[in-house]
Amino acid sequence: MANTACFMIVSKNDIPIYEAEVGTVPKKEDAAHQHQFILHAALDIVQDMAWTTSAMFLKAIDRFNDLVVSVYIKVIHTRLMLLHDSRNDDGIKSFFQEVHELYIKTLLNPLYLPGSRITSSHFDTKVRALARKYM
Amino acid sequence: MVKKGFEERLPFKRAFLNNKTRNPVLVEELPAEFILTTDARLRSRFPQEQSLFWFREPYATIVLVTCEDLDEFKNILKPRLKLIVQNDEREWFIVFVSKAPAHNDQATKMAKKVYAKLEVDFSSKKRERCCKLDINAPEANFWDDLETKIMECIRNTLDRRIQFYEEEIRKLSEQRFMPVWNFCNFFHPEEVKRYGWYIPLYYAAANLMVEESLAFMFEIAHLHEDALREYDELELCYLETGAQRVCQYGWKAREFGGVEQGDDQATLLEPARKPLTQIVHDDSFREFEFGSIYLPSMLPFCMREVWVITACLALIDATASHYKDGLAAPDVEKEFYRVQGEIYTLCRTKFMRLGYLIGYGSDIERSPVNSASLSMLPWPKPAVWPSLPSNASSEVLAKEKMILQDSPRHKHFGIQRKPLPLEPSVLLREANRRRASLSAGNMSELFDGRPNANDSSGPLSPLPKVNSVSMSRTFSSPGNFEGSIDRPMRLAEIYVAAEHALRNTISDVKLWESLSSIEKFEQKYLDLSKGAANNYHRSWWKRHGVVLDGEIAAVYHKHENYDFAANLYEKVCALYAGEGWENLLAEVLPNLAECQKIQNDQAGYLSSCVRLLSLDKGLFLTKERQAFQSEVVRLAHSEMEHPVPLDVSSLITFSGNQGPLLELCDGDPGTLSVTLWSEFPDDITLESLSLTLTATNNTDEGAKAIKSTEAIVLRPGRNIITLPLPPQKPGSYVLGVLTGQIGQLRFRSHSFSKGGPADSDDFLSYEKPTRPILKVANPRSLVDLAAAVSSALLMNESQWVGIIVRPLNYSLKGAVLHIDAGPGLRIEERHHFEIEKHEVGTQNMTNLDNPPENLSPVSTGVKQLTLEDGKIKLPDWTSNITSVLWIPLRAVSDGLAKGTPAGFKCLRLLRRTIAVHFTDPFHVSIRVADKCNDGTLLLQVKASLAIYDAWLDLQDGFAHAGKGDGRPASSFFPLIVSPKSKAGILFSIYLAEASAKVRFSLFVLYESVFVERQAGLKFVFPIHLTSADEAKELQPVSILNIKYTISGSRNLGAHTPVAEELTGPDNVKAEHLTFRSELVLQRPVLDPCLAVGFLSLPSSGLRVGQLVTMKWRVERLKALEEKVASDNLDEVLYEVNINPENWMIAGRKRGYVSLSTKQGMRFEDRDLNIMPASGCRICPPPQLGLPNVDEANISCNPPGPHLVCVLPPPLSSSYCVPA
Repeated sequence: MANTACFMIVSKNDIPIYEAEVGTVPKKEDAAHQHQFILHAALDIVQDMAWTTSAMFLKAIDRFNDLVVSVYIKVIHTRLMLLHDSRNDDGIKSFFQEVHELYIKTLLNPLYLPGSRITSSHFDTKVRALARKYM
Repeated sequence: MVKKGFEERLPFKRAFLNNKTRNPVLVEELPAEFILTTDARLRSRFPQEQSLFWFREPYATIVLVTCEDLDEFKNILKPRLKLIVQNDEREWFIVFVSKAPAHNDQATKMAKKVYAKLEVDFSSKKRERCCKLDINAPEANFWDDLETKIMECIRNTLDRRIQFYEEEIRKLSEQRFMPVWNFCNFFHPEEVKRYGWYIPLYYAAANLMVEESLAFMFEIAHLHEDALREYDELELCYLETGAQRVCQYGWKAREFGGVEQGDDQATLLEPARKPLTQIVHDDSFREFEFGSIYLPSMLPFCMREVWVITACLALIDATASHYKDGLAAPDVEKEFYRVQGEIYTLCRTKFMRLGYLIGYGSDIERSPVNSASLSMLPWPKPAVWPSLPSNASSEVLAKEKMILQDSPRHKHFGIQRKPLPLEPSVLLREANRRRASLSAGNMSELFDGRPNANDSSGPLSPLPKVNSVSMSRTFSSPGNFEGSIDRPMRLAEIYVAAEHALRNTISDVKLWESLSSIEKFEQKYLDLSKGAANNYHRSWWKRHGVVLDGEIAAVYHKHENYDFAANLYEKVCALYAGEGWENLLAEVLPNLAECQKIQNDQAGYLSSCVRLLSLDKGLFLTKERQAFQSEVVRLAHSEMEHPVPLDVSSLITFSGNQGPLLELCDGDPGTLSVTLWSEFPDDITLESLSLTLTATNNTDEGAKAIKSTEAIVLRPGRNIITLPLPPQKPGSYVLGVLTGQIGQLRFRSHSFSKGGPADSDDFLSYEKPTRPILKVANPRSLVDLAAAVSSALLMNESQWVGIIVRPLNYSLKGAVLHIDAGPGLRIEERHHFEIEKHEVGTQNMTNLDNPPENLSPVSTGVKQLTLEDGKIKLPDWTSNITSVLWIPLRAVSDGLAKGTPAGFKCLRLLRRTIAVHFTDPFHVSIRVADKCNDGTLLLQVKASLAIYDAWLDLQDGFAHAGKGDGRPASSFFPLIVSPKSKAGILFSIYLAEASAKVRFSLFVLYESVFVERQAGLKFVFPIHLTSADEAKELQPVSILNIKYTISGSRNLGAHTPVAEELTGPDNVKAEHLTFRSELVLQRPVLDPCLAVGFLSLPSSGLRVGQLVTMKWRVERLKALEEKVASDNLDEVLYEVNINPENWMIAGRKRGYVSLSTKQGMRFEDRDLNIMPASGCRICPPPQLGLPNVDEANISCNPPGPHLVCVLPPPLSSSYCVPA
């Protein structure tokens, strides 16, 4: 499992709608800002890259020292972003795919307003479980 | 001993090495280092990474062996050597160390034998892999031999590596043309390292760009960009292997080894070296000197950082000076600026690192970007951390003072945050550890020196990352700073040491200058930040640019240039706010607020405070949020020069209450209850509040505001407020905008729900449908007013008029009834009004099978009300039930009452005129029958009457027969007349002037008749006229007087008049009512002179609009007497009396007909064209009157009034199509 992994879902309006530190190292206060900052900056690159490829999974699209940003772009331009230090690409890809499915299930919930924050604890639990499983 | 001998020979002179094209290159000096295989640097790699870090691998393995007899060699040494050389892919050779003393031939011989054996076993023809070192008597050529062998090994290793890299590069280049290729593939550090070789290419291409082939440039620049990102790591490798000259151009062989003045500068970037086109055309990048000879040497402190800085600066200068705007296609241009921005950023990071090392850390903003850049980047790892020069005590003191003076800047609003780290681990510890681990192979170094294994945990290192400054204070003990290797260095000493070391490293004067003082440092830092920001702004990477703007702003902020700072901060805040990254926004926004406050930008400051309050609650402490609020309130209550509207949409949200929506009828006021959510941390007072209601069905009309008049204190969280709601138009309404005042400020909140997407233009995002809060129904009747009875009431008596008040699904609470009696009606105000519950059963009482007497009072719950000003307030208990209001009324004239307009007012006016029919109890009509007058009285009221007395006051010329008081025998009375019965009273009268007396008799006819809808009481006056004398008409009419009582129910119609409080057995008589009716008794025609006959009409009947001719026959029955005026004896005046409502006359109405005075003369042709004027009716026809002739002398045929039937007009067939 990755030591550091910050997972984020960014809506098509670039608003973060879900955020979770899924690494094994306990989250530190400083890290939250840094991870957010790195992921936010990576949006610039994602924006460039998204249109040059048809692949949904953009592996290691950005890099910040030892941390790597991988992105999974959904059709409606919601982005699943992961800042991680592990090199387990296949695991990350599977992780993204499963989270994608979870996210779609969330979208199907009539009480969930698309584009708003995901506050479901069930979703959170599942994402963390997936992170443990794949990373 | 061997090592010492080796090291004496270093560096190797005149080494021939092959470059990439396998051409031998003469290397004048080749530095090298001998290390033990147990050296930490060799252990530092994980096995799987080793192939990737060939750079760091030794180039040759020298196996030193010694052995003194053959058996030992065979049994022990040989297997071990085999093992070593087989498993080792590296170049190797064996040095046999003979320890045999020179004088001991035996031993020498033995050694020779062993060595010979060794040579046989391990050397081949191609390759000599053994040499022998005789310790006691070194051979002269041994060292040369050794050197040659080492050189050979190095060359071979180098060749293999070149081959390997070229292969890799080729492979990756091929992949690059595959469809799914992207740069991410290059992100493996080791791959990127390979591409690091292409840095010069970027330069070449960047120059090319301005000359010819832009496309080519970017193909290559793509490579570069990754390289640049990875450059740190790359550099680390170079430096460790002493290969910093990897970027030297191959055409100019440079010396290897050693560090000359200027080597720290990236010399490759002097564009004047060679025309770049030529380089490219020659494909000369293949000529790059693979000039790394990897024998480590000691490098100056922070060589890597310095090199990167100079390289980046040179690159920027070179490309920027060659680049002209507009030469390239826009996307290429963007790309160019982006790369520039990246270079600037890299340079900036390294520059900050240097600055930190020499103690300027306190001037570096601890922002997320700086923290992320620096804290994740490992400290420089020199073999030995520089130590403090001996004469630097004053500098240390200065630094010490600087550290002490430095106090962490307090954020506005008293926000206290743990500052973000700028250091990967505590510098103090890092530096001291590096100093302590001087010797190679040190165990702690073995662990801690692992460069990458723990890199990821670098920023998250187990060391608590408290502010290094405060930490240092505990370590520093001023006044005791004489350099001692054993004592750990204090922070100030580390700074000074680093400064001195850097002074040695940095040859670039400008660079050194910018590190020489804190002001210069800041200037350079600002320049770099600006450069990066500007370039990013010109590229697609806006976010990078804006973030760097924030860094620039921080510098301005510190230097109290608040105007610039605020502008830049605003950009940053706008970016983060727009994209909803609240954590990051929370870092910057307080700074912006502070600038705005200092600038006295009240509007901006206010909105910043509001934005701070609207951020996620978890981002600030309650205390801080309270500080924001108190600022807002303070500003709101102060005199602002330019009051601004305050948008508090994110702070005060509102919605209708749960549960059913408020439904109102048109025009009704109401009370609206609204839930307000306050995100303020404390109670907040809203001086006023108003909410707009927007009609969902009608967008034309502006929203209407409903206001709260008094101040409202909102508690944090949920509040329910109620607002008075004036009448609204019909429709359904949603809440629009909340406005109000906090202090002097108008605030406004338009949000419905928080957290929704800012814009929702695609199909997946939708707005939460707003629930209507109010529904106002279309206008409809809210109440029904009707007369309680349809039958007639008594004239001239005070009667109860009932008004049924029926609310139509609507509460009549507080309703007021205005009553306005119509003409001829008078409200008996002396009496109380009465109201009672109405029961539906009474409506069906038109069926008269039940005698009215049996009707019990409908309700016992009768309440009395008083009329005030023509208004009656309905009691509350009637608000939801149908009730009957009884009004005492009297029709004061003989004329028929028309009705009472009664206005019903409850919130709005309902005008309703209620017709009430008043009538006499009896209707008397007279008809002329054969020789008798027949008076018919119809009972016109629905009640039973008891007649107590009846008498006839006769007109002149008539007299009662008998006793003369005109009363029938009293024994008949009281006569009860029910609505079903018909009765007759017979009076006997005679003509007073006639001699003949007429007997009279009275009989009462009592028979049951059925009268349609109305019981009729018929009084028949069969009067026998036995004599016919003319009488003086002093009293023109006879009057029939009837005394009666009535026993009706007011629920049905006529009833006993409203009591005058005179009840009692003595006053029974007073309750008797009197009815008087005129009767006209006509004298019979006793002496007819003329006869007028009405000729019958055509048998086809009359129709409206049809012209008919009416004919009368006038006949003189006897001759006129002489005394009659003889002027026109033969002329008779006639006049046709018509009712103009029924008839139109087309001829002369009045005229003379000549009629001879002789008896029997007839005039038949007095005809008249008459047209029935309207309607289907039965009406009296025109009558011909003869005004000049006494009525007594005219005999009419038919004798009495008669009726004709007029049919409706024929149907018009104008538009009918014939069948």
